[in-house]
Amino acid sequence: MSELLQVTNITAGYGDGPAILDGAHLTVEPGKVHCIIGPNGAGKSTLLKAICGMLTIRKGDVVFKGKRLNGLRPDQILRAGICFVPQERALFPKMTVRENLRMGGFVLDDQRELERRIGEILERFPILKERADQQAGTMSGGQQQTLAMARTLIIKPDIVMLDEPSLGLAPKVVQEMFDIMKMMSAEGVTVLLVEQNALIGLKNSDWGVVLDLGRTLFEGPASTVLSDPRIQELYLGGKKAA
Amino acid sequence: MTDIIQILILGLALGGVIALMGSGLALVFGVMRIVNLAHPSLIIAGAYIAYWGAKLTGIDPIVMLPVAAAIMAGIGVLMYRLVFEREARNAKYSEMTVLLTFALAMIVEGVLGGLFTNTQRVTSPGYATDAFFLGDLFIPKGQLYAGLISLVIIGALSLFLKYSRLGYAIRATTQNREAAELLGVNVNLISVLAFAIGIGLAGAAGSLVSFVFSFFPAKHWEWIAMLMSVVVLGGMGSILGTVVAALLLSVIAAFVGTWVGATWSTMTFFLALFVILLIRPQGLFGEKPEMA
Ligand SMILES: Nc1ncnc2c1ncn2[C@@H]1O[C@H](COP(=O)(O)OP(=O)(O)O)[C@@H](O)[C@H]1O
Ligand SMILES: [Mg+2]
Repeated sequence: MSELLQVTNITAGYGDGPAILDGAHLTVEPGKVHCIIGPNGAGKSTLLKAICGMLTIRKGDVVFKGKRLNGLRPDQILRAGICFVPQERALFPKMTVRENLRMGGFVLDDQRELERRIGEILERFPILKERADQQAGTMSGGQQQTLAMARTLIIKPDIVMLDEPSLGLAPKVVQEMFDIMKMMSAEGVTVLLVEQNALIGLKNSDWGVVLDLGRTLFEGPASTVLSDPRIQELYLGGKKAA
Repeated sequence: MTDIIQILILGLALGGVIALMGSGLALVFGVMRIVNLAHPSLIIAGAYIAYWGAKLTGIDPIVMLPVAAAIMAGIGVLMYRLVFEREARNAKYSEMTVLLTFALAMIVEGVLGGLFTNTQRVTSPGYATDAFFLGDLFIPKGQLYAGLISLVIIGALSLFLKYSRLGYAIRATTQNREAAELLGVNVNLISVLAFAIGIGLAGAAGSLVSFVFSFFPAKHWEWIAMLMSVVVLGGMGSILGTVVAALLLSVIAAFVGTWVGATWSTMTFFLALFVILLIRPQGLFGEKPEMA
């Protein structure tokens, strides 16, 4: 197995607060779509924040392409090739679509190259090209999420992490978002996403990770996780899977 | 008719200066959610720099403007490092800064009073008491220059924010701090920079104010309500909004001053603040109230 990112038994929390993650692990293989599921408050968002450098990792390792990422700042991890789209408000609402894309390449030094890549993205996503000079905050939820995902591609990352990209979107639009993710992974961008709706998430992914109470219960091929009786059990409690 | 145009001109010229006085306040609130009640007192500090420059060396206050701006920007960096940086993680940050900056305003006033006494001062370059005459209209040169220079500075600031890489970083940090950080913006550095620019603008405004209004250390209390009403009407953080609001309120105040009475002119701003907060707290250009 040739993993791209390996998270082993990490402990992490906010500031000096209690450990929210304790014993979380996961394996990310290149070019696949990975889905983290688990009940509300399980620590899914916290796990992504720990990987991208927003939280200090107290114990355990995050290894990416053979290098430890522990202790690096978010911008260093971004430059290394991991891009994180946080839940809900990932955009700059009063900037135009084009300005948002430009911010996506903030770490690029070559401005001509940046403009060239923005042009490429706009060609690939006609809906964004149509609205290139419109304020991002005035677009529909699906369009905003499309922009947030498209924006990650500007720096040609290895891994894109998405925190609940389907939140608040109509079912039809949710499927469009997953189609974009599949397209990204087909082009070699590895996707790691968090999804509240386990059923939809796993159906659209290659790999599943089940997180509860800050630790990984198990991970494996999405189809295996989907048919695992423990999943049914986990979701029979408070939250239904679909 | 000439009367109306006359009042309009005076209102607009003064409005330009008020816009510059308010723009630093708006920038600092926009980027850092700091309600800087000390801003007017820092404008007065800038006015003293221009005043003593003129008094001791005869340098024109307009020439002193970049000097006052640079000194005040430096003071801004110190203030940020000493006072605000450590509070940045506090959940009640905005509320905290109201108290902190209120205390700062009194400290600045006290220091200025100790250094320069409470005597009223004004710089008096030749143009401050001169005017252009266009038929029946008269345009005081001091106010005209101050208003125009203010609008030029704000124009330059807007271009900087709109097109430069740092400007992008500042706007991004204003709109979504977390997302900006995740895209590689050093948000702490941007905060210091924006704060320094905001206080630098107070210094710049101070040099212009020094020949438009007479001033003394406690004068800033009169300006707080005026500037707050301009910034609130402008949408708390929008520079363009601040300019529009300043011009609008200043023109209204000029008409009120002429037709109703001079005391009522200042009341315009107080009343406006009251009315805006009641009927449109998000101001002209702001979205839903997001002050919490
Ligand atoms: N900024 C924060 N500061 C302190 N605790 C937090 C913060 N964000 C989340 N938590 C806590 O971390 C736990 C896990 O939250 P989160 O990772 O958001 O869960 P999930 O994304 O799985 O719903 C929750 O108990 C939550 O209260
Ligand atoms: Mg979450």
